[in-house]
This record gives sequence, C-alpha cells and structure tokens, in this order.
Amino acid sequence: MAPPAGRRVGDDFVDDSDSDVSITGLDDETSRAKAKGKGKAIDRNKKDKGKAKAKEQPYAWEASYSRSWDTVQEDERGRLEGAVQDWIARGRRRRLLAPAAAIRRTIIRHLVLVLDLSSAMLDRDMRPTRFDLMLQYAREFITEWFDQNPLGQIGVVGMRGGLGERIGEMSGNPQDVLKAISERHKLEPTGEPSLQNAIEMARASMSHLPTHSSREITIIFGSLTTCDPGNIHDTLDECLKDRIRISIVALAAEMKICRDLCAKTGGVFGVALNEGHFKDLLFELIPPPAQRAVARAGAPGANPAADLMIMGFPMRLPDTSPPSLCVCHSQMKSEGFLCPRCLAKVCDVPTDCDICGLMIVSSPHLARSYHHLFPVKPYAAVMSLEDTPDPSKRCHGCSVAFRDTPATMLGAAGEGMSPLGRYRCPECQNDFCTECDVFVHDVVHCCPGCGK
Amino acid sequence: MDKPSHLSVVIDLSLTQWTLCAQSTNPPGITLQDFLSQLLAFLNAHIACKDENTLAVFGAFPGQSVMLYSSTGEVTTTTAESTDANTYRPFRTLDSTIMSSIAERLDSYDGMTEEAPIGLVGCLTKALCYINRTITTALSSSQGGEGAAASVDPRILVLSVSPDQSSTYIPIMNSIFSAQKLKVTIDVGKIFGAENVFLQQAAHLTGGAYVQVERADALLQYMMMSFLPAPAIRQLISVPTQDRVDFRAACFCHKRIVEVGFVCSVCLSIFCQPVPVCSTCRTKFPMKTLQRLRDARPLAAPPGNAPPRPPVQKNGTTTPARPG
Repeated sequence: MAPPAGRRVGDDFVDDSDSDVSITGLDDETSRAKAKGKGKAIDRNKKDKGKAKAKEQPYAWEASYSRSWDTVQEDERGRLEGAVQDWIARGRRRRLLAPAAAIRRTIIRHLVLVLDLSSAMLDRDMRPTRFDLMLQYAREFITEWFDQNPLGQIGVVGMRGGLGERIGEMSGNPQDVLKAISERHKLEPTGEPSLQNAIEMARASMSHLPTHSSREITIIFGSLTTCDPGNIHDTLDECLKDRIRISIVALAAEMKICRDLCAKTGGVFGVALNEGHFKDLLFELIPPPAQRAVARAGAPGANPAADLMIMGFPMRLPDTSPPSLCVCHSQMKSEGFLCPRCLAKVCDVPTDCDICGLMIVSSPHLARSYHHLFPVKPYAAVMSLEDTPDPSKRCHGCSVAFRDTPATMLGAAGEGMSPLGRYRCPECQNDFCTECDVFVHDVVHCCPGCGK
Repeated sequence: MDKPSHLSVVIDLSLTQWTLCAQSTNPPGITLQDFLSQLLAFLNAHIACKDENTLAVFGAFPGQSVMLYSSTGEVTTTTAESTDANTYRPFRTLDSTIMSSIAERLDSYDGMTEEAPIGLVGCLTKALCYINRTITTALSSSQGGEGAAASVDPRILVLSVSPDQSSTYIPIMNSIFSAQKLKVTIDVGKIFGAENVFLQQAAHLTGGAYVQVERADALLQYMMMSFLPAPAIRQLISVPTQDRVDFRAACFCHKRIVEVGFVCSVCLSIFCQPVPVCSTCRTKFPMKTLQRLRDARPLAAPPGNAPPRPPVQKNGTTTPARPG
C-alpha cells in the first residue's frame, strides 16, 4: 500500500521506550511523561502525519499523545545543546508560573506515610523493583520533608498480608524515621494490601492530635486490589470527620476508590508513569498544603484550625560547658540545649521537653517556614526593551551580561520565556537572568533587588 | 586542599557607623582608610594562596548593594590605571577597582539626610546568586566526567560594623538556608558595634566563624588567622569561633527577646504574652486556649529582665544586645 502523502521516510522505526529524545545528559521528565505512546497510537498517528500535528484525532485517547520530538530543532551550527537547555529552562519556568500568592498554609503537619508492602511491589517494571525504588524515594522524601517542615512529624505504616503494620511511630526526628524504614529484611513484601486496615491504623495514631495541625496520610500504592474486612466507605466518612487529608501515589493504575479517597478528603491523586514522574509526584506533597475553608455552623469568626501554641526557645550549651545528664537518654553529655522553663538539658531540638512538656524550638526552625507565608512575587518575562528607558546591561543578581539581540524561540514562543533572557521583578524593577530567576524563587525566596 | 576556593566578601559601608568607629577610643577604633588598606592586603593574600582562587567583593552601602569587584571581570572601572612595574598586576587591578568603585559611590552621599539602612541583605543574596552561577557553570562545563560535587569551595565573609536590623530577620534566615543548601560557609567579622545575633546564627548554622574583633588596629591578623583558611582545612587549623549562640527569638509586638513565646499556628508569629487576635494574620484564637495559657503562665517578670543564665566560660562576650 502506498504510503499516504507527506509521510516521512524512516517513520517505520518507532522507539517504544521512554526516552524519545536520546541526548546525553537530558534529564527531562516532562518530555518523557508526555511521550508514553504505545504502539497502537503511533500506528494511527502515522496516517495523520500529513496534516498539521495530527489535529484530527479519531480517538479520544490520542488527544493526550503529543510528539515532543518535533519541537526539538537544531540550531544554526547543527547542535542540539541549545535546544535542550532551552527545554529544561522552560520546564523550570513553567513550575514557577504556578500562582505564588500568599495563601494560608498549615505549617504544623503530621503525616503518616503508608507503604504498600504487598507482593505486587516485587514487579520489575520500575528498576530494580518497585519496592526498592519506593524505599529509596521514601528516604529522600523524608529527608526533604523534614527540611521543609521542621515542625512536622512523620509516622510510617505498612500494608502487608491483609493487615496494617506499624513500622515507625510518629516522630519529629528524621533519623528515627529513617531508621524505621532502613531495615530491609523486616519490610519484605508479601501478601495482599488492605487499604482499610492501613487507613484505620493511621487514623488511630493521629486521633489525639490538636486541631490546628494538619493531619495527612500519604499512600504509595502499587497494587490493583485491596482486601478489606469491612466497608471502606465507612472509613472514608470517619476520615472526613477527623479532617484527615489522604493523598495517593499509585504505581500501577488508577482505581476508583483511590481517586474517591483523595477527591473527597481534598488530597492529591497521581499515577506514576515512570521513575522520574514517581519522584515528582511524591515530592509535590512536600510543601505545606493550602488550608481548606472550613464552613462551621457554630462559632463564626473563630477559625477552628488556628491556635496559640506556647513554645520555648532554648540556649545552646557548647562543648566546653561542664557535662551533665540529658533528660532524653540519661547520658552524660557536655553539649545540649536548655529548656527555658525547667532548665532541663535536651540533646536535640525541635522536641518536647521530657520534664515539663514545653515544645522547644529554635528560631531557625520557625524561620524555615516563613518563605511559604511571604513568597517572592514571580518575575515577569521581558519581551522587548521598548518600554525601558535605560536597561541595565547586567543581571542584578549575578552580574552576568544580558544578550543584546533577542534569541529565536523554539517551539511555542509563549510560556513565559523571555527572548532576551531578562526577567523583571514587579516591585523593584530590576532585571535578572534565567539562572537567578529560578534560584531566587526556588532556593532563596528573597529578591536581591527588594531586599525583602 | 585541592579544590580552589571562592571567597565573596561583603563589606558593611555604613557611614555613620564608620565615623563612630573611627572616633571610639575604648575599644580602640579604626578609620575606614586603615580598614580598607588592611582588607586589601587580606584579599591579595587570598588570591596569592592558589592560582585558581576566585574572589568577589560586594559593598553594602546605605540603601543599596553593589558588586565592587569580581575575578571574572564583571566590574569595570572608569579610571585608567597607570602601569607600575613594581606591583604584581592582579593585585594592582584588584586594589584599584575596589578603591575606585567605593570612592565613586561614597561621593554621592551627603551628610544631611538620615542614612538609610545598609543593603546587607541585598549583598548576601547577590553573593549567593553569583556563587550559584559559578557552581552551575562549573558543573555544566565539567559534565560527563567528573562527579557532581561542586569543584569550588565557596564561602562568604561578612565584615560588619552595624547593629542588627529587625526587618532583615526573615531575608537573612532565608539566605542562611540557601547557603546551607549550596554548602556555603558564612564567616562573620564584627569590627565595631554590638553583637549581631542574626549573623551569629548565620555563622553557626553554616559552620563558619564569628569573630568579635577587639583590637581593631590588629584587624589584619584576625582576618589572616580566622578567615583565610579554606573550609576544607578548618578541621586541621582550629579557627576561633563563637560557641555560645543565642537562638532566642524576638517577639513581633515589642521586639523584645523572649525565651518562652506564644506562636500563632497559622503564620508563626511570636508574641510575648497570649493575645486574643494575631496581629499578622488576624486570626482569632479560641478563648479556652487563652484562659489555659494565662493560668499556666508564671507571674510575668517586668520587661527587660531575662532570667539568670548559668555562667558559661567564653572569651569576653558581653550580654547579647537586643535587636531592633
């Protein structure tokens, strides 16, 4: 059969693997996530290639299939590096374009991490096994979570053999939590998962917590079945009553009950397409969630989630001070922190004083969450220099020179990318380069021009 | 000590503070001229240590922050420099660029208007942006062979004469956390003025040295001993540092330092006594909590008294000054 007009030679070979653009050093999750095409979709699309970008799609599921390899073009010297860098920068900018308004977030968080330890996790579709990858990402997740939420606590529950198992108690010390999931032989996957048992166990461990902290359950679910003793919708109602937010990262496929659990409790549901996407989905849960507006019949005006907490700020004892017993381990130590109320020595902050029960926090821990409350305004991309009377030649942040002529934009010219490589702060009207833009919004959270 | 080290110096150039410093006799002060000459000797020493060492100097002027010199040549000076056969060329470029940049800016300040607070935060963030760019360019050029660890060892040195500004608390804490992420060490040299609590915390959290200079005329010796060694050698060369760090916070209402504070769970603002409504986010707190807290509190001490602290032997530190 003669190929239809416009079909390019060489289209017979279709790379079915995840990487559609095989360029060294390309770590591009966004393009991989888009190009998860299966054989059948490509077959149909080939016939449509004559038309512009397959606009007519006879099947609905083809709508999500986009050909990302078309947008990568060579520059005038025949190299693809510039296009690749451009693509990566665009991906980063896209994340920054998310609204950064100062919305109310719950800073004090309690999270139960539910790990699927059923036999479905021994599947090798994610390297080396789903189980190993889950453990590795869980470790990174915990480290990063405590970094961003120093006042939070994490507990770990496992789903194995139809039961819920308590793997780690709720603790504010990252080392304790990491230790709980480090013993691999204790976590060998077997049996069937039970969503209801795990959620019930997680809910029970969070029942005594005060209302002003956010209660969350994050489930990493790799199976397609659940083996429950009762009606899981009852559990869902109980969770709604307790105001627990459930988020699920599924590794296999979407299950309606998972989607319902997340939607009704206000959590986030995602199905991981590949390893990189799995990590992204998991790390999306790290920033504090926005506080939901709670409509209450009684007590209008008083926000039930807000409360005044009493906290103590300790003095740090250096190595040179005389040794004394610490109250947490009863070990003789020189260095530690003194509780301001009862003058007991504790080893590490943040913690609750074992003697008087005061929450001991050092001010950097509180300060670590301030950037969520006072975010930096996103910078506007400067499209042309016509409005600026005296444009600065160098980036205000790192003093790198700006390019004079606008660069040609590959692919869609929009998406917030500036052809001049300049990004302007709306407050202080200073221009910054791409690197500084991403750095300021991701890491520093403080604009060098405004000094705020 | 294989890795080249990068040093970013942030100089506090608050004119009022420098005038006070020059006039003070006890402890003996130092004029801006002397300070700059000693600083230039120190910067020359840093460049001389290793050929690949890089340097960036930022000046925190009242109301603005400027990059004065960078070894990658971003700052160009307008005055032509005469060639001098007796001076090593890189030293001469460094000296002349810094002095001319400072002189240009300082001329624009008159003594009439009240001085704006110095742009210390702007300098810190610019130093971090610059370090970030050098790290990313080093990574992208060396990709494919070497490891991902930064091939430079960056550090920031802050030479400060001004007291704390309470409005800079949040930006300085943000800079500290980004420095931790980039593995940048922040050293602080306090030449004149009261103890600076924020910078103390910065030095402590990033593993740097906070040095209170007592003999300002011997400043060069302090700088060579404490700030010249790269972070990698500091395990071998024991650098004097401040162990007693004040981690107490200041309350938002009176800017008093509190040991036991009341924290709003929504916005994390700290109050020294239970208030019915949070002043930052205007959330009302339930009456029960206020009742409970008021009953549980010990009798309020009169303002200005902190409870006595157990004595800690330390080299001549005075009681911490209150910020703001």
